[in-house]
Amino acid sequence: MEILILLIPLSVVLAFLIGAGFVWSVKSGQFDDLEGPAHRILTDDDGIHHD
Amino acid sequence: MPTFAPVSTDRGRHAPDPCYHCGLPNPRGGRWQATIAGARRTFCCGGCQAIAQGIDAAGLVAYYEQRTASAARIDSSDALGNECAPWDDAAAQARVVRRDADGRHEISLLLEGVQCSACAWLIEAWLERAPGVLRVGVNYATRRATLAWDPEATSLSRLLRAVRQIGYAAHPYDPARRDALARAESRSLLLRTAIAVLAMMQVMMFALPAYVSIDGVEPVHRRLLEWASLTLTLPVLLYCAAPFFRGAWRDASIARAGMDVPIVLGLVAAFAGSAWSTLTGMGAVYYDSITMFIALLLVARYVEFAARRRAGDAVEAIARSRPAVAERLPGWPTMAEGVHVTASSLCAGDTVRVRPGGVVPADGIVLDGRASVDEALLTGEPRPRPRSAGDEVLAGTVARDGALVLRVTAAGDATRLASIERLVERASADRPHAARIADRIAHRFVTVLLIVALVTAFAWAVIDGTRMLPVLFAVLAVSCPCALSLATPAALAAATGALSRRQVVVTRADALETLSRVSHVVFDKTGTLTRGHMRLLRTKVIGPHDEAHAIALASALERDSEHPIARAFREVIGDRALPVVDNVRIAPGEGVEGTFEGTRTRLGRLAFVQAIAPHALEIEDAATQTQVVLGDERDGLLAVFSVGDEARPGAHALVRALHAMNITTVLLSGDRQQAAQAMAETLGIAHARGDMLPGQKRAAIAQWQATGAVIAMVGDGINDAPALAQANVSLSLASATPLAQWTADVVVLCGDIERVGSAIRHARRTMRLVRQNLAWAFAYNVLAIPAAAFGYVTPLVAAIGMSISSIVVVANAARAARLPPWRHARDDEAIIAPGAQPGEWQAA
Repeated sequence: MEILILLIPLSVVLAFLIGAGFVWSVKSGQFDDLEGPAHRILTDDDGIHHD
Repeated sequence: MPTFAPVSTDRGRHAPDPCYHCGLPNPRGGRWQATIAGARRTFCCGGCQAIAQGIDAAGLVAYYEQRTASAARIDSSDALGNECAPWDDAAAQARVVRRDADGRHEISLLLEGVQCSACAWLIEAWLERAPGVLRVGVNYATRRATLAWDPEATSLSRLLRAVRQIGYAAHPYDPARRDALARAESRSLLLRTAIAVLAMMQVMMFALPAYVSIDGVEPVHRRLLEWASLTLTLPVLLYCAAPFFRGAWRDASIARAGMDVPIVLGLVAAFAGSAWSTLTGMGAVYYDSITMFIALLLVARYVEFAARRRAGDAVEAIARSRPAVAERLPGWPTMAEGVHVTASSLCAGDTVRVRPGGVVPADGIVLDGRASVDEALLTGEPRPRPRSAGDEVLAGTVARDGALVLRVTAAGDATRLASIERLVERASADRPHAARIADRIAHRFVTVLLIVALVTAFAWAVIDGTRMLPVLFAVLAVSCPCALSLATPAALAAATGALSRRQVVVTRADALETLSRVSHVVFDKTGTLTRGHMRLLRTKVIGPHDEAHAIALASALERDSEHPIARAFREVIGDRALPVVDNVRIAPGEGVEGTFEGTRTRLGRLAFVQAIAPHALEIEDAATQTQVVLGDERDGLLAVFSVGDEARPGAHALVRALHAMNITTVLLSGDRQQAAQAMAETLGIAHARGDMLPGQKRAAIAQWQATGAVIAMVGDGINDAPALAQANVSLSLASATPLAQWTADVVVLCGDIERVGSAIRHARRTMRLVRQNLAWAFAYNVLAIPAAAFGYVTPLVAAIGMSISSIVVVANAARAARLPPWRHARDDEAIIAPGAQPGEWQAA
């Protein structure tokens, strides 16, 4: 069970890394619009610009 | 850009007194001092000193007594506000300043540095004293001010500088800035919630061995797990729970017991106890309870925030529909080349092009082109309407299938769209009465709770010292005042948002609550129950011609007349070609006469027409309609038209729906008693009174109110103003009223009067949800708090119980955002005369 001495601190470090990743994703605006991207895949950008 | 230094640079080792104005530490030596309200005060900088002296000199020191938070420190480098000067430039003002007919200028300002309601009062009182200011209103909730001034007497830059002088910054309002603020709030709450949930899961994992192991965890591992939990709990407590600490501090500093106070006390007690156990290696730890408590509380707040935001989204949807860019045609009509400009820089008189599928950037009149325009957002009308030269189009509507060239009549804040936005904002700014009462009860609740917690802690200290901390935490954590403080405003906001999505705009915060208690609905007749203008209701053909011909002929005779009846014909005929009629002569009070294909033709009263077209006919004159007869020398009488002011579609259904809700309906009309009676009978309205002057309407309403009735008045807002003001709650139909007259508490934006009933039904449902929440909160707290005080609830169960209770009430409140499906508005503008659809009629 000696491995726990390493694993427990490691899990804390991992939790902080995940937290940091989440902070980055929120700050970069990935959560600002949760609906738009789902619809965007349906819109066909080709052929809209007639002019 | 003004910057507020959040932390004074000269925060010294020794700081005797904080700055009297901004609360930051003073530098040593007390260089800046002044006598404020008779007492010697020290300041951190010359800027704060000057501000306080200014406030004192203006006799506004009451601010320092009333404020609940220190002022924001303003960077003194721009205390003169040099950057305000560009705002005097006409081009800079063009986008943000509204000018009214009397030459007054009005602007919306976004305020920076407003910390508490005393700040709002201070800015208002200060600006009112500035020369040239005509009106000022500061909205604490939205951090915005509306300022009207006389451009002859002062300038915008001088007023912006005046705001600077007392330590705030005012920026001419720009919607993009508000968007940025809202986004920041949403992001920060999401971040706090997610991090707390993440930490909660991990800490739970660390706590699990202690719960499941039979013979206990090895001491080395146990200490390691405790330290790991502590490491993860600390950021949750310091970052995620920061809003609770801030709220509790705000409440505590004005000696008020807010709902955040027990939360914070519980958290601090549990964390301090646990940390002590971890440091000394003895005793129990509650990190799992702490993180779970914070995480679930934040989830509840997030749900509440989402409900509020969805309410705001309804407004945003309107705001978003205003396009940012417009294509201006400076050379129209000689050149068709367009220049892309921002929509807010358009002015009345500009010519713009809207491409197929494009959004109309400003209110305007179509000069050229033809398109079906979708106005669903503004009027609720689902079907696109054809629009061509001469028609009016509104900003925010969509040209579906064609290009339009328009002359702008109103742009930016002057558009109908912007007016709707402002209305909704006004409502979201003030706090409803129900929410204020809930707040007050919550404060009392928390005070009692704190006393209970104190007594419990003492009792357990005597009975069993080791259990004091967990029981204390359980008592503080298990209680749930959210049903009061959080859920009631959330329900009201959600309901308001849902209604505005259905084109029913609640413009005063209390309106929903009052609507739910309404016992009488009083209607005005003309313009409210009816459309307020003459329409062709029925056509009876007598002679050889068909209906289309009869209508076209009548319309041709009335071609040059401005009589309401003439307009009724014109409405039906539209811009179709008319038969050629010569020698048109108007006989006042009788009718019109003209020659069609050489035959003398008359339109008007029966006797007038019979004079040339001898033909026996009996017509009965209904109270609400006028009969007009068409006849000529050759064929005698041709047709009888019934012209009148018809009830709006849906009025019938509305009256039925109101009766089903046990609401008494009353019709008060300025029209003849006979007409009022007839209209009431047609619609099934219980009581009708005609020949009422505005003052008499008001008196009648006051009389009912004296007997305990709660009156909702539905009127058109102009001649009904006294009655609308007297009623407990007033409603008006926007289509019947010019924009400036929208003073009612509830405005139905489309012509569908039936939505009045739906609004009342929804208000009742919302208040029912609020009462359910209060009942739940009462039952839950009455059971949970004593159980916790007697030691039957572990801290973990307390955290879960409280959080679930919060989520239950908040989710229940969010139900107010859902409306039962409404029957859609019938086509408001349908041609009225059944079968009277004159085809492509051409003069023979």
